[in-house]
Amino acid sequence: MAFLIFGVDLAQFIPVLAETIAIYLAISISLNLELGYTGIPNFGKALYVLAGAAFGGAFALHFTSWVFGITVSGDFYQDLNLVPTINVVIQGNPALSIGLILLTLLVAAVVGALLGFLTSYPAIRLREDYLAMVLLGSAEFLLYFLYTYQPIIGGSFGAQMFDPYAWAGPNRYILATGVAVIFALLVYLYVERVARSPLGRTLRAIRDNETAAEALGKDTVAVRRNVLMIASAISAMAGVLIAFYAADVSVPAFQRINYTFWPWVIVIIGGMANNVGVAIAASIFWTAYDVIVLSKNALANYIPFDLNYLVYIVLGVVLIVMLMVRPSGMLKEKPTHTLPSSRIRELYESMKSRKSARPPEEGKPGN
Amino acid sequence: MALDQVLVSTVIFASLYSLMSIGLTLTYMTTKVPNFAHGTFITLGIYMGYTAFHFWGLSPYISSPFSFLLGGAVAVGMYLLVLRPLSARGVSLVGLMIATFAVDTIFLGIVNVYAGILANTYHVGNSLTIIYFIADFTIDGIKGLFVAAPAFLAALAVGLYLLLMRTKFGVAMRAAVENADLAGILGINVQRVYVVSWFLAGGLGGVAGSFLPMIAAGSPSTGSQLIVAIFAGSIVGGLNSIFGAIVGGSVVGIAGGLLPTELAMVFGSWVTSYSSVMPVLVMVVALLFVPKGLTTVNWRRLLRTEKKVERASV
Repeated sequence: MAFLIFGVDLAQFIPVLAETIAIYLAISISLNLELGYTGIPNFGKALYVLAGAAFGGAFALHFTSWVFGITVSGDFYQDLNLVPTINVVIQGNPALSIGLILLTLLVAAVVGALLGFLTSYPAIRLREDYLAMVLLGSAEFLLYFLYTYQPIIGGSFGAQMFDPYAWAGPNRYILATGVAVIFALLVYLYVERVARSPLGRTLRAIRDNETAAEALGKDTVAVRRNVLMIASAISAMAGVLIAFYAADVSVPAFQRINYTFWPWVIVIIGGMANNVGVAIAASIFWTAYDVIVLSKNALANYIPFDLNYLVYIVLGVVLIVMLMVRPSGMLKEKPTHTLPSSRIRELYESMKSRKSARPPEEGKPGN
Repeated sequence: MALDQVLVSTVIFASLYSLMSIGLTLTYMTTKVPNFAHGTFITLGIYMGYTAFHFWGLSPYISSPFSFLLGGAVAVGMYLLVLRPLSARGVSLVGLMIATFAVDTIFLGIVNVYAGILANTYHVGNSLTIIYFIADFTIDGIKGLFVAAPAFLAALAVGLYLLLMRTKFGVAMRAAVENADLAGILGINVQRVYVVSWFLAGGLGGVAGSFLPMIAAGSPSTGSQLIVAIFAGSIVGGLNSIFGAIVGGSVVGIAGGLLPTELAMVFGSWVTSYSSVMPVLVMVVALLFVPKGLTTVNWRRLLRTEKKVERASV
């Protein structure tokens, strides 16, 4: 007996929802690394996600067709036999499929890091408002360019991707979701770890007072460049996972509202420089969004417009109200625990026992 | 008399882009926040014009004052209800920018809902691809907008020049732009200046929007798509000069219309398919090479140094 929600089986709905949350969690956490921890307002987040999906996808298709020796007749992306042929080869071979996913992720990470490196040039030199315009414009440029220029990823027709999850058979979507969840978890743990490390304190120092950080000998230019490269590589890898999940790259899907604005909403509502808040916000955001989208079909006869757009209105208002009432987000930034609390307690106990064993000498203040 | 279609559309687009860029420049000069929701005013103008045309049979030329009022009212509302309270609470520039993004999204939703109701309840347009055209009048086969849009722009430029240079309010406005605190101390009502400039900005966007369906298809996301071209115009114009915005808007209009067509004659017809990329390219190039705008380039000195270089090389 299946649980139904607006006529959709929950067993199908939950993997789809989990995949969206995981992908957005990874992108939002990478934005949090830039915006929350380092103070770089990246208004071009969609640029890196699109670049990852487009260049990673193009690499994966060209690479597989080259390795498997598939001859393409005519235009590369117009050949309807290409993707089915690749699918037949990799379908029964989980190891090969996983290898292809990892290789594509690696290529996308390199592309993303390269774009991040390029971004750091304006990011270090321009004021916030000019930087926002440059990044927004660049994202839009890549979108229009890839939409028009067919040789990279099929232009306005888009490109069908081979399915590296096909070996899971009917559980394909669950497997794809699992991969996305693992990726998001790794990103989360990595950024959390960075935030707790001495590097994390350097990032906050640069964010809060650049001059002071420089006076203390921190190379702020290099740190910002590295942060942008890492965050962009994460976004690009998320783009690849989106492409593999959908088994398709459609350029218009990477509009700024989807991959720049929604991650910003998640980070601002969740809490800048607080990854727990961002994770909660991403979960609430997409659960609410997807339930509304589901209910759309059930209510289609009663409401004369697309319910998606109510979400736009509500989220826009929520963001503005949040900025007014609670600019620090749902969860505020907390002082980081550089050591686990158990280890701190241990140290405390050992110091206490040492102290009691050797009482402080008279006339000298205790440590 | 037959005129080149590309020339006609370039002139019209250059005029409309100029109108939009003037508005964006006005708000940036006064409030110092790049308004990513400027496209909203254009979209509202499109739908005002379309509603008036469909339900009351009014030509956009007649309904454009209503578009002006609607765009202006929304712009003032946005300034008074969103940006002013936020900056009073000490929200950073980044926060204000993302708030304008949010306003854009809100209105993207509102206009989409309206367009959906139009399509499903009144059976106007198509609910999937909401694309409308409104017929323009023609004289001797020339589109009326070919005359009307540049004429409106010219009248506006003269009007703004007179307002800024010849009236007391214009002096107050320029003072508020130069130094808001000092102007406030001298008794200028800076807030009123800001409200008026936002009203003008929204209104001009609304008018440009109401003219737009006569030359290109409009949809609820038209404004969001145009925003980069509008920014390109303002940036080429230097973001701090209204007359620069006219130059910038024209550059963007030419780059998106005439230039690809001319280049296509040299490089082949594939160039024209990139006309949508051109405004963004103009913006990126302008930001990289003339970030303060074309009007700040000292052309005379540039030419002189080049001559000097020539002489030195000789």
